[in-house]
Amino acid sequence: MAVAELLQYVVTGLLVGGVYALMSIGLALIFGVMRVVNFAQGDFMMLGMYLTYYLAVAWHTDPLLGAIVVIILTLGLSLIITNVTTMVLSPMPRGIKTAYATRAFALGAVLVNEARAYAFLMALLLAAVVYAFLTRTDLGKALRAAADDPEAAAYQAIDVRRMHALAFAIGIALVAAAGGLLATYHPIEPTVAVNFIVLMFVAVVLGGLGSVPGAFAGGILIGLVQSLTLLVLPFQLQNVGVFIAFLLVLYLRPQGLFGRRLRSV
Amino acid sequence: MLRVSGLSVAYGGLRALDGISLEVREGEFVTIVGPNGAGKTTLLKAVSGTVAATAGRIEYQDRAIGRLPASARAGLGIAHVPEGRKVFPSLTVLENLEMGSYRAAARAGRRQTLEETFVLFPILAQRRAQLAGSLSGGEQQMLAIGRGFMARPDLLLLDEPSQGLGPRIVEQIFATIAEIRRRRRLTILLVEQRVVEALELCDRGYVLETGRVVLEGARATLLGDPRVQRAYLG
Ligand SMILES: Nc1ncnc2c1ncn2[C@@H]1O[C@H](COP(=O)(O)OP(=O)(O)OP(=O)(O)O)[C@@H](O)[C@H]1O
Ligand SMILES: [Mg+2]
Repeated sequence: MAVAELLQYVVTGLLVGGVYALMSIGLALIFGVMRVVNFAQGDFMMLGMYLTYYLAVAWHTDPLLGAIVVIILTLGLSLIITNVTTMVLSPMPRGIKTAYATRAFALGAVLVNEARAYAFLMALLLAAVVYAFLTRTDLGKALRAAADDPEAAAYQAIDVRRMHALAFAIGIALVAAAGGLLATYHPIEPTVAVNFIVLMFVAVVLGGLGSVPGAFAGGILIGLVQSLTLLVLPFQLQNVGVFIAFLLVLYLRPQGLFGRRLRSV
Repeated sequence: MLRVSGLSVAYGGLRALDGISLEVREGEFVTIVGPNGAGKTTLLKAVSGTVAATAGRIEYQDRAIGRLPASARAGLGIAHVPEGRKVFPSLTVLENLEMGSYRAAARAGRRQTLEETFVLFPILAQRRAQLAGSLSGGEQQMLAIGRGFMARPDLLLLDEPSQGLGPRIVEQIFATIAEIRRRRRLTILLVEQRVVEALELCDRGYVLETGRVVLEGARATLLGDPRVQRAYLG
């Protein structure tokens, strides 16, 4: 096999993995602070896809910008009932047509799809913002403290219930934004929710339950493994590789890649 | 400063505190001693609000606080250094201390309080970038006390700071508690099983047994009491 071909798959996997990483840290944050697995994350992701789609169709908003609008919307309306989406929206797959969806940069022999590259960069940027928030601001540190030890957090005047609401709002805003980014190159249909919640969950477990950097690494890893699986298996089976990697990691390192102990963000 | 009257707490029907009344005056150092399971930890938790009282009244700075959530009580200047230290393991030492000064009244003076904390506990300055979960037991206890100090509290609650530590570290920790008191005229309520050391530090003390106050008095009275001597001082 040519090195260039392998490189092509690695690059594609990395790009897709960046968006997976963003959606996974949303799930990890909610789990880390609230200790619940929010299975509705898939629905919020789909909501982000549809919102971005309609913004693009109705107002010709660039989908990359749409993802940012989606963050603001979901942060504000963080408790939207998700089931509505499937009832209102038809099951017909849709896609957003942008000029960059079909264009590609050439990096030597490797072709980099523009939509994926932009989505990747945006995902990286958003993940960096979240990381800075968690490590540089009092509120972010309080969020991590509440995840570590809610009782001790209360002794520091940290309102733990407010931290739960905050973690939830940020968590769904991130996954919705990731949905918006995904919408630039992935078909939008009601079943995406189910498909992607599984991937997010795997990423979070791979990274070490509730660890945000872990979920990020888990998401990237899944993108890579999915892409490389295509070298040996047909498209429909691309998640077989993911589950083999999943079992392998859990066998070798049951606490996950970044797992220390259970309570940590 | 703190007045507790007729306080009762039950865990699922089982009485842990049975009509406790006690008072801590401004600037006073009060110690509560008593055997395992006497209800000392439960008392401190009821004061700071992480355990619900079934009856009784808690007043702090002449204000009933019994209905406030724990975080709001901490916001009023009650710092609780809990049993078992409970540092935030995945946060660094510095971040733990910063969280101590999370409350609005302490945030403004954070840098200065931090310097003072590092004078009290030089080891914390050395380990500031280390994760709290990787500290030794004694270091974690110092961090927990330092975190409480960072709140610039009016009332400091200390729950068995000597627990599980070797004699040299315990001596050092008690010395630092005395030093904290010299620097800030803050009010301290200390719970201990090391009866001698704790009573020697305090102005006044209470002896708690199975959820009731069985004895109270000034330091000298308690140290001289034949029942205390028989039960705790050997
Ligand atoms: N969360 C809980 N659920 C049920 N019972 C509890 C709980 N916490 C404490 N108890 C019980 O309440 C009583 C008082 O416990 P507490 O921890 O307040 O005692 P203590 O004086 O602090 O003891 P120690 O010196 O061992 O720390 C004990 O009988 C204990 O078993
Ligand atoms: Mg106790």
